[in-house]
Amino acid sequence: MVRRPFKYRWYLLGFIFILLATVPIWGSDYVLLLGLLFCLYVALSQMWNLLTGYSGLLSLGQQAFIGFGGYTMAVTTNYYGINVWLSILTGGIFSVFLALFMSLFIFRMRGIFFAIGTWIFAEILLLWFSNWEFVKYGMGLFIKPPNPPSMQMIYYASLVMGVGSVAIVYLILRSKIGLGLMAMRDNEDVSQSMGVEIFRSKLFCFLVAAFITGATAGVLYVFQIFIQPYKAFAMDWTVSLVFIVIIGGIGTIEGPIVGTFIFILLNQYLSEYGHISLLLLGSIAIAIILVAPKGIMGTLQEKTGFEILSPRRL
Amino acid sequence: MESLIQPVINGILLGGLYAIIALGLTTMFGIVKLVNLAHGDLMVLSSYLSLVVITQLGINPFWSMLMVIPIMFVIGFMLQKYLLNRVLGKEMEPPLLVAFGVSIIIQNLLLLVFSPDAQSLMTSISVKTIQLGNINLPILYLVNFFIGCSVVLFLRLFYNKTFLGRAIRAASDDEGAAQLMGVDTKNIFAIAMGIAMITAAIAGILIGMTFSFFPHTGAQYLIISFGVIIIGGLGSMKGALAGGIILAEAQLLGAHFTGPGYQLLIGYLVLLIVLAIRPQGLFGQAH
Repeated sequence: MVRRPFKYRWYLLGFIFILLATVPIWGSDYVLLLGLLFCLYVALSQMWNLLTGYSGLLSLGQQAFIGFGGYTMAVTTNYYGINVWLSILTGGIFSVFLALFMSLFIFRMRGIFFAIGTWIFAEILLLWFSNWEFVKYGMGLFIKPPNPPSMQMIYYASLVMGVGSVAIVYLILRSKIGLGLMAMRDNEDVSQSMGVEIFRSKLFCFLVAAFITGATAGVLYVFQIFIQPYKAFAMDWTVSLVFIVIIGGIGTIEGPIVGTFIFILLNQYLSEYGHISLLLLGSIAIAIILVAPKGIMGTLQEKTGFEILSPRRL
Repeated sequence: MESLIQPVINGILLGGLYAIIALGLTTMFGIVKLVNLAHGDLMVLSSYLSLVVITQLGINPFWSMLMVIPIMFVIGFMLQKYLLNRVLGKEMEPPLLVAFGVSIIIQNLLLLVFSPDAQSLMTSISVKTIQLGNINLPILYLVNFFIGCSVVLFLRLFYNKTFLGRAIRAASDDEGAAQLMGVDTKNIFAIAMGIAMITAAIAGILIGMTFSFFPHTGAQYLIISFGVIIIGGLGSMKGALAGGIILAEAQLLGAHFTGPGYQLLIGYLVLLIVLAIRPQGLFGQAH
């Protein structure tokens, strides 16, 4: 069966983009807040999907980049008075340095060892930051930029991260590296003998994911104003990202977008019930893995061939 | 030199406890190639079960094992039979993520039923020590070490000498061949998980008597378990004991030289060094 991407996809994408871009005009403050969270979570989950769904790098340590990027932003604005947007960028760059350092250790491991390695790095950072006087131990930092950006500006920054992350993943997958990644996902040994540079492709994706995750965390913490190690380096981040991608569909570009939409809605409706919301999220995720392991978009693609952003060139 | 003896001895004793904490995780990896991310939470669940039994019946935590162990065996059996067996396959992620979901559910159930406050299982031996010259030996640590070592030995005998233990190993080595020989492998995996949960129940009760616990401590013990089995080698029981002692020594000697704030940090650094130099662990097989 020749599968063709959805015919009106560019119209649909354009519509979603315009809808998101004009939220500050038509939406209430509440909708703006939801839109902001939506864009940020799309960026974060898109990166986890790039690692786990496409590069075969199961990461349980995304919170390492979230905390490191957030703290770099907080420290550069607070202590050195650097412009907020520049410090967000610095957060992304520092996350790349962190990823490079981590890769010295964890790129020797495969599969579950890699996953545990990333998690242990995140735990080390949590311990380090909560014992570090420079960042006021576990008490956390209030982020006080010299000239604080308006809510609208923060929203547009998050929109850039959200849309940018989707575009970058799409471009990577359509490039030579993406072709190699998908060949590698299907059969690592054969793809290697066909000349796919596995190590370099994986490292490239790991660094890209670190940069975007770190910078997105910067935007998030400009919005939240307060950063604290036990929250910034918490495992809960990765838990949420895993749920988003599993529900939406792992290894698809649309999956994290759909998953984030459901996640944000569920969170809003369930937040008043406290722990029950996480309980339900956990049960939903298990049910989806059992019933439709490819998630909503993956199953839809398989059954109907419906695809919006296809990494295939045919 | 004198002052070093105390942390070294404490490290060895704590290592026995760490070994039994990691035992369930390492056997399940060895048998089913399953990384049970809910292992820590299941241990904390047994601590809470024991708490309920103690407060309801007013008995000693050791006696509560008689009730908690069968309950945990059944929970483990059901979990494997009705949930994890269904997602076992070539790929690593689905079982991992199901276990992750189970971990979230247990944590939040515990938060819902019990409060986020710290709890502990009180016993009469909690604070007693034996004085040997300049060295204090906490009785509880001695008990932990003794129980930890005996469970490791007992399990080794079980897997090598009994029919059921051999069937479990056969199902793990070659599922197809074991099935041909009349072994119901899916059932065997469920029993193996039940056995892993027996060790988790014992570990949970020992942890509850030694440290305080609250619904979120599971992750901490999961990381300790990972540390132990990474140092010792995945799937190896000798490795669990050796890894437990090395990790505990790293933590306690780290605390001795750098202060308690960095205790866990030093433990993780040792872990990373082992991971980088010998990813399969001291007693693990390279693959």
